Amino acid sequence: MPVKPDCEKLCPEWPCDDPFEFKGVWVVAEADENELNEASLQMLTPAKKIASKLGEKIVGILVGYNVKKWADELIKHGADEVIVVDDERLKTYYPRVYGQVIVDLAKKYKPSVILVSATMRGREMAPYIANTLRTGITADCTDFDVDEKTGDVLMIRPPFAAIMLAYIKTPFRKPQMGTARPNVFPVPPRDESRSGPVIEEKAEIIPPGMELAYYKPVKREEVLIEKAEIIVSVGKGIGGPDGVKLAEKLASLLGGVVAGSRKAVDAGWIPPERQVGQTGKSVKPVLYIAIGISGAAQHMIGVREAGRIVAINIDPDAPIFNQADYGIIGDYREIVPALIEELERLKKEGPKAIEELLKEEEEAAAS
Amino acid sequence: MRIVVGIKWVPNTQAVRFDPKTGTLIREGVPSIVNPHDYPAIELALRLRDKYGGEVIAVTMAPPSARQGLEHVLGMGVDKGVLLTDRAFAGADTLATSYVIAKAIEKIDKEIGHVDVAIFGHETIDSSTAHIGAQVASWLGWPYVYYARDAELVEDGKLKVRRQTERAIEEYVLNLPAVVATAIKALEPRPIRLLHKLRAKIEQPIIVWTNNELGLDKRCIGLKGSPTVVANITFMPEVPRKKIVYKPKDPKDAARWLLRQLFKDEAVAPFLKKALWG
Ligand SMILES: Cc1cc2nc3c(=O)[nH]c(=O)nc-3n(C[C@H](O)[C@H](O)[C@H](O)COP(=O)(O)OP(=O)(O)OC[C@H]3O[C@@H](n4cnc5c(N)ncnc54)[C@H](O)[C@@H]3O)c2cc1C
Ligand SMILES: Nc1ncnc2c1ncn2[C@@H]1O[C@H](COP(=O)(O)O)[C@@H](O)[C@H]1O
Repeated sequence: MPVKPDCEKLCPEWPCDDPFEFKGVWVVAEADENELNEASLQMLTPAKKIASKLGEKIVGILVGYNVKKWADELIKHGADEVIVVDDERLKTYYPRVYGQVIVDLAKKYKPSVILVSATMRGREMAPYIANTLRTGITADCTDFDVDEKTGDVLMIRPPFAAIMLAYIKTPFRKPQMGTARPNVFPVPPRDESRSGPVIEEKAEIIPPGMELAYYKPVKREEVLIEKAEIIVSVGKGIGGPDGVKLAEKLASLLGGVVAGSRKAVDAGWIPPERQVGQTGKSVKPVLYIAIGISGAAQHMIGVREAGRIVAINIDPDAPIFNQADYGIIGDYREIVPALIEELERLKKEGPKAIEELLKEEEEAAAS
Repeated sequence: MRIVVGIKWVPNTQAVRFDPKTGTLIREGVPSIVNPHDYPAIELALRLRDKYGGEVIAVTMAPPSARQGLEHVLGMGVDKGVLLTDRAFAGADTLATSYVIAKAIEKIDKEIGHVDVAIFGHETIDSSTAHIGAQVASWLGWPYVYYARDAELVEDGKLKVRRQTERAIEEYVLNLPAVVATAIKALEPRPIRLLHKLRAKIEQPIIVWTNNELGLDKRCIGLKGSPTVVANITFMPEVPRKKIVYKPKDPKDAARWLLRQLFKDEAVAPFLKKALWG
């Protein structure tokens, strides 16, 4: 049961609300005319966990111009209902204007929880919403739960050193807000049979105090690392651009993409949008090949969802060996070219070559 | 132009460890540094001042030792420092931190002179929330924009800010006063100069404000003014992995060993076959 706060003890800048009035788990969707961001759909996964524990509804929030059409998509993926503010004046995104629309909706509907995907836009807008509502917000959660005794939502995130998890709650204020990075949660499966109400709201649009003067779309990378099935990831140990070229060759043979650790990004060998880890991206490939990566907690948190991890490292004591499925001790400058050669040979010889490869082991075991 | 820039004096996170028993940070013996992501903010502020005149004031809410951080940025050419320090500020989450910073900006505006822009770094390495910029904008009611890479004044004294997102290169023209947060590594910071250090030594342009000067309600600052509470800290559960480590005879042996493991492993074999032979 939530506790009613003692209003005398609260900061007078905060409203003293009755926590019992707040109901509903909101997912703020990021959408425009052309696209509903998949990261928003992913937030329906933790929303479902929280909502079912609280016994409350999941509400999708759509703000923008020509975005009403996405309401059904949110419902099919798990929202019970959707509130839409569709207004031509929202054609251009301004953080404060969009933020204020959501603040006004939250003041009217009083949700108990607001979840926002930590995309670039989400990270810009969510703290504004939280602050304007004078409530707390926890960034980059990796999980959510509900405290059974108090009904407080637990926002779970690694603090500082990524080996620990902090459970953060907002006991005296509602709504409780949290964000999570894209790809930390899967998109809930689509259920064609789902339907639900779509509520259209009118909003007061504040003057933005700013103007979009120039806009040039940038070409998006063809294969985003967050979608790749096979990732070859390089670290400081790759030593420079030549090493990256080798990794690229391996990746292209495997139909995969190249990513990197923060040190590889800091060195300028890998572009920032390909950084894996706590301050980069979470990835979930079937196979993650880490070359010259030591296995720091902040890196490994980004590959928790990876199917299998291969580590190639020259240092037998590298921590990554303790967090990988298959580890090879050695210099990548020798091992990776050999791997490329073997793969090229296999590719040429066809699937039959596998049998021969596996037979070798039996022979080795027999001798 | 008068530009306020927010900086944080942070423990060098690479060197910090956790005490698993108490769940607290072991900060003893860990050197502190100016948050690396604040340098683009400082650099942007200095460039604007160099171009249009005025002054740059660095602000930090921190324990008294953060004076060193302010001295460091004075060495880069920042004109003044404001140290917001009080035991009552301790334990603040981002709402309570941004409140103190916003109130300090209002006080600077009233007592030192009109503030045109407040610039923040993208995030701090010790909490990496990227909250403070938007929250200060919320308290002050100013327009704001994140991920800035460059800025210049345009007609009517507005500020044009250039940024890049996943989707586009964008330029926003903001009415002043406004809040700007810079992108990580957006600008190369200038080096420390002896001249600036000497001037800072002689002029001592660091102002210290405790809550006596700011006069904020005790219920709005520090732990009491923080709606978020750390309920618990645990170890992160380990992901089960096979942990098979092999020391090969030679590179070819390494390659063939690995491929054997992968082709025996049903979780990856089908994907490898698909990649190699379609
Ligand atoms: C708050 C915070 C957030 C962070 N976020 C991230 C993040 O998102 N992503 C991230 O990756 N890091 C992050 N870090 C940094 C992280 O702590 C590590 O510093 C970083 O991951 C190390 O990168 P690395 O493994 O490439 O380099 P190193 O740790 O320097 O390791 C290089 C490895 O290469 C091996 N090596 C050297 N030569 C060879 C060779 N010839 N062949 C084979 N192996 C070789 C070495 O044995 C070594 O193990 C973060 C840190 C902090 C404090
Ligand atoms: N205690 C502080 N004092 C002054 N500025 C701060 C403080 N904490 C954070 N900032 C600023 O806010 C930015 C974002 O920090 P954060 O929200 O903590 O990730 C930083 O890059 C700093 O510019």
